[in-house]
Amino acid sequence: MKKTCLFLFLTLFFCTLFIFSHGVDAKVYVDIDSPNFQQIPIAICDFYNKTASATKSENVGAIISDGIKKDLSLTGIFNILNNKSFPESNPSDAKESVRFSDWALIGADFLLQGNITQNNKGIAADGRLFDITRGETLFYKKYFSDINNLKFLSRKIASDILLTLTNDEGEFNTKIIFVSKKGSKSDLSVINYDGSELKNVTNHQSILIAPRWSPDGNLIAFTSFKDGHPAVYIRNFKNGSERKVASFDGLNMCGAFSPDSKKLLLTLSKDGNEEIYTLEIGNLKLKRLTNNYSIDVSPVWSPDGGKIAFVSNRAGSPQIYIMDSDGNNVRRITFKGKYNTSPAWSPRGGYIAYEGLVNDKYQIFSIDEEGNRIFQLTSDAANNESPSWSPSGRQIVYVSRKSSKSKICIMNSNGSNPRILIENLNKPVMPTWSPRFK
Amino acid sequence: MKKNLTFIGILIVLIISLTIFSGCSEKKSIVKSDETKVQETVSAPAPAPAETTEPATQDNVSQPIETTNLKDTANEQSSLMEATAKSPISDINFDFDSYSIRPDAREILKFNADYLLKHKVSSVLVEGHCDERGTDEYNMALGQRRAQETKKYLVNLGVNESIIKTISYGEERPLDTDNNEEAWAKNRRAHFVVNP
Repeated sequence: MKKTCLFLFLTLFFCTLFIFSHGVDAKVYVDIDSPNFQQIPIAICDFYNKTASATKSENVGAIISDGIKKDLSLTGIFNILNNKSFPESNPSDAKESVRFSDWALIGADFLLQGNITQNNKGIAADGRLFDITRGETLFYKKYFSDINNLKFLSRKIASDILLTLTNDEGEFNTKIIFVSKKGSKSDLSVINYDGSELKNVTNHQSILIAPRWSPDGNLIAFTSFKDGHPAVYIRNFKNGSERKVASFDGLNMCGAFSPDSKKLLLTLSKDGNEEIYTLEIGNLKLKRLTNNYSIDVSPVWSPDGGKIAFVSNRAGSPQIYIMDSDGNNVRRITFKGKYNTSPAWSPRGGYIAYEGLVNDKYQIFSIDEEGNRIFQLTSDAANNESPSWSPSGRQIVYVSRKSSKSKICIMNSNGSNPRILIENLNKPVMPTWSPRFK
Repeated sequence: MKKNLTFIGILIVLIISLTIFSGCSEKKSIVKSDETKVQETVSAPAPAPAETTEPATQDNVSQPIETTNLKDTANEQSSLMEATAKSPISDINFDFDSYSIRPDAREILKFNADYLLKHKVSSVLVEGHCDERGTDEYNMALGQRRAQETKKYLVNLGVNESIIKTISYGEERPLDTDNNEEAWAKNRRAHFVVNP
């Protein structure tokens, strides 16, 4: 009997432990949607070149760390401290010798220290990320790189820092597609997330609107007037082949792809007024989802595919609504303001970004799926429109229009740290963020 | 015997719970340490807004110089104006974010319907247009609705439904490219292309 009691006690003990340990890590991630989120202060030292002076090329260490800084600042969540404030320019790679208290004094939470050695094959680098507050090494990694590929080396190290601190790979391998208007002719262009490699995509020389990426990154859907009337096209991003998938009487406009990239949401007016449909891309089978004598437009899927957000003016003004993916259970989620459009569902779920009219300007907002909490993300003197989330849900790309000029900007998903991705191009509008490319 | 069974039962429960626990604890411990890091990251007082953060994007942005051929745009614009002036029947205008036919538009549509009935035209295309404010996509739908409501009004006045086609140009073909209410009012319109 005594034995039984002991076992029973032990069993209970372990069960409790299990439950407890489970509860502890419920809050793993940084709440980047929080308006209180503050940038992570980090010190990036120039990599110390250990190579014998005869063979070493100058500045390689600084080039590598400059690349890391540039990449980290693109994420919008780091405050990269100025090297001039550093207490030591070449901190030791041994944890015991790093002057953590001096680094804490300049406000750094994290410190990246690195060494490089050059030989005729390339560069061997090692990097250590220290947690200054706790005096600990978070990672120690070795890298090898071609001397001509330092940008890639920097990016790899920046990705490792981001992944270690936030448990997310970020947007380093993503692109943004947008419409560039030249006079009355529009076409699609694409640019890397870091602002490099601007390229033309289509050559329709026509009205072209509403570009969307498929979640697998292979396809782009858009609406073009190439043949004189609006039709929906699907383009293979890699080989450039295009297929016209909807060209009915009246309006044909594309919405978002489904999470599995197999269906496309459409707005068609062929049945009398603007309604929302799903199109199966494989066999072009249509299914009508809305049935209301009003404008229903701009549909997007929730990341789990269970719901669809869209714009409807069924209550007299354009507002954001959510329905189940079969068209049932329609409910309105925006009630503030007379004009709320362009819904974009956060890839992490939970929030929908949109544009709304406030004080005669269009500004970007985010709202939770229940419609209870609203955050105004932009508030400058321009018209800020067409929000699209980054794959991590950390950033939002949008267009900022002022008189007849426009620029494409990126901000953190809580509205902080807005920065310009493209300006000086004639009129870039309707940016859409790609998924991550492998 | 009964005691033995109980004993075995408890042993099984113990083994299972141990397995679950150890199985999870391995993964969790990694996550747990992550959590601590991340939390400290957040709670740590961030220094004053980053003067040190450089707008890295700007350096990187390749800046192709693509100036619009202003002459082309001007030509397109004047041809649009010309087309509007040439059309035998007049445009009608709409209020902001509205597709209801205004009283002043009703008069024009009566005249337009008479013209279409008298002249036995083969077809007429009703174009719906919007001003530049608001969302391109929503405006595309709004323009379609303006065209459709106009078509319906003409049909009610006796015009044969089968000769009327509709198209929306949204905000993409403004008559007046200025950014003021006067221009916007002109741009919110239904335009008629008559094919004799």
